[in-house]
Amino acid sequence: MEIERFGEQGIRVILGTAVDDRTHEQVRRFFLYIRSLQPPGVIDVIPSFRSCLIHFDRDRADYERLSSLIVKTEREWIEMPLPQPRRFEIPVRYGGDYGPDMDFVCSYSGLSAQEVIEVHSSVTYRVFALGFMPGFPYLGILDKRIYVPRQETPVLKVPQGSVGLAQLQTGIYPFESPAGWRIIGRTMKRLFDHDQEPFSLFNFGDLVRFVQS
Amino acid sequence: MIEVAGAGFLSIIVDSGRYGHAHIGVPPSYALDRFSYVLLQYLLDNPNNAPAIEVMGNDLRLRFAEEMIFAITGAKVAATLDDIPIPGWSAIKARKGSFLRVREVKEGLRYYIGFSGTMDIGPVLGSHTTNLECNFGGFHGRPLIKGDTIPLKNVRARGELKMVPDTMIPSMQEPHMIRVIAGPEADRFVPRSAAFLSNRKDAVFFNATSRLNRTGVRLEGTPFEFRQEVEKSIISEGILPGTVQVPPDGLPIISLAERTVGGYARIAMVADIDMDRLAHIKPRDRVFLRAIDIDEADRLWRARRDALSFYCKKQ
Repeated sequence: MEIERFGEQGIRVILGTAVDDRTHEQVRRFFLYIRSLQPPGVIDVIPSFRSCLIHFDRDRADYERLSSLIVKTEREWIEMPLPQPRRFEIPVRYGGDYGPDMDFVCSYSGLSAQEVIEVHSSVTYRVFALGFMPGFPYLGILDKRIYVPRQETPVLKVPQGSVGLAQLQTGIYPFESPAGWRIIGRTMKRLFDHDQEPFSLFNFGDLVRFVQS
Repeated sequence: MIEVAGAGFLSIIVDSGRYGHAHIGVPPSYALDRFSYVLLQYLLDNPNNAPAIEVMGNDLRLRFAEEMIFAITGAKVAATLDDIPIPGWSAIKARKGSFLRVREVKEGLRYYIGFSGTMDIGPVLGSHTTNLECNFGGFHGRPLIKGDTIPLKNVRARGELKMVPDTMIPSMQEPHMIRVIAGPEADRFVPRSAAFLSNRKDAVFFNATSRLNRTGVRLEGTPFEFRQEVEKSIISEGILPGTVQVPPDGLPIISLAERTVGGYARIAMVADIDMDRLAHIKPRDRVFLRAIDIDEADRLWRARRDALSFYCKKQ
């Protein structure tokens, strides 16, 4: 674990270097622990692939005290048993109008559309982070065979539910949005509902599998 | 009740921010110029997280359907109440039927209008502020348009008409000198690009592009240059408002209030003391980035916080 200051109101807690299950589990332990501890002055904790970013209120907390609290409590979470992650199956319509970049993915990978679909829907992904937009899951790790680069220039608008690929990640756009990822399909599943708890369908650490529909 | 007879270029309802949901990607969407926002609430004796209107552009027109007190802070504007010029940064009494018109923005970009009453709109995820990209919060999740009526409750028609002295009102004139602290990926840049972070006399200069909104301000100029052997993007990670991110093309983007995660190298973070200034950067404005260390940033922030709370208390 490394602790770094991030500007005046932030603390970066770095829990590993690689994108892998071991690092993810440490991030998840720390995230769950610090959220249950609710240290005074902590406004938000943003977990991602290999770190947690703590946003604190400088009127009620400071870097020195929070970082020493994190160091002191390390042994309480470092071996903490993790709750079983929740599992989701997400129905997707692949290709055609639903997946305008399927042709690009096929030519980049040398696979047929059906092979791309099989590869994409045969892996169980983890929610490594939520961000970019409310409820947008960064899912990994994508099979290398369907690795594609991001769009050089983001597309101005993709519909809600668009399923995209970028490098070794896949994700779902919860809202109509500009997009830099390659869109291969669409789900009708609603990912974010601002009117109803728990707001986001996914939580950090959930497991997700895509099913062709 | 307030009737919108003209909404300017973009008018949205904002507050002190939507917090506690960043782990599911919900950004803070706060009033971008917090100093102006806090003093607005002070002028009106409102709670310090009360909803207010954040406006960009000329020709905002509002009609007061009842007697109340209102104020305008933020960008310096030429405004009239029933055709009589009124000052900004002052509480002003409006009669029933009075007509407020903001004719022109003179200095800065965003201004704030508040009222001596509670906007009767429901909070969404704990806040009244508008998330424009996802269309929730604020006024039905969208900008105000001509014909809207904003319901107010607990309207106070009487109260002390306070004003903020000129000496308290910050400059919003360009060029903007933005002080920054080194960010986590500062070491990915060649010495020529990163030198300004260690030499405090060495500001770097950019121009603001027209690609600016509540999500971020994109700058153009001499690109920051990545070192040869490094990755140009990072594994996506949490960011905070004021993070200066550098995409592979080397032209920085200052993140504002609508993102919680970023994937570009973070060369620097804007010091809190200059966060409000970011709300007033306009297309083509000159922007200088100058480094300070975290202790100085902390001193500057404390000094202003203390001045602000002293001022608000002594009145």
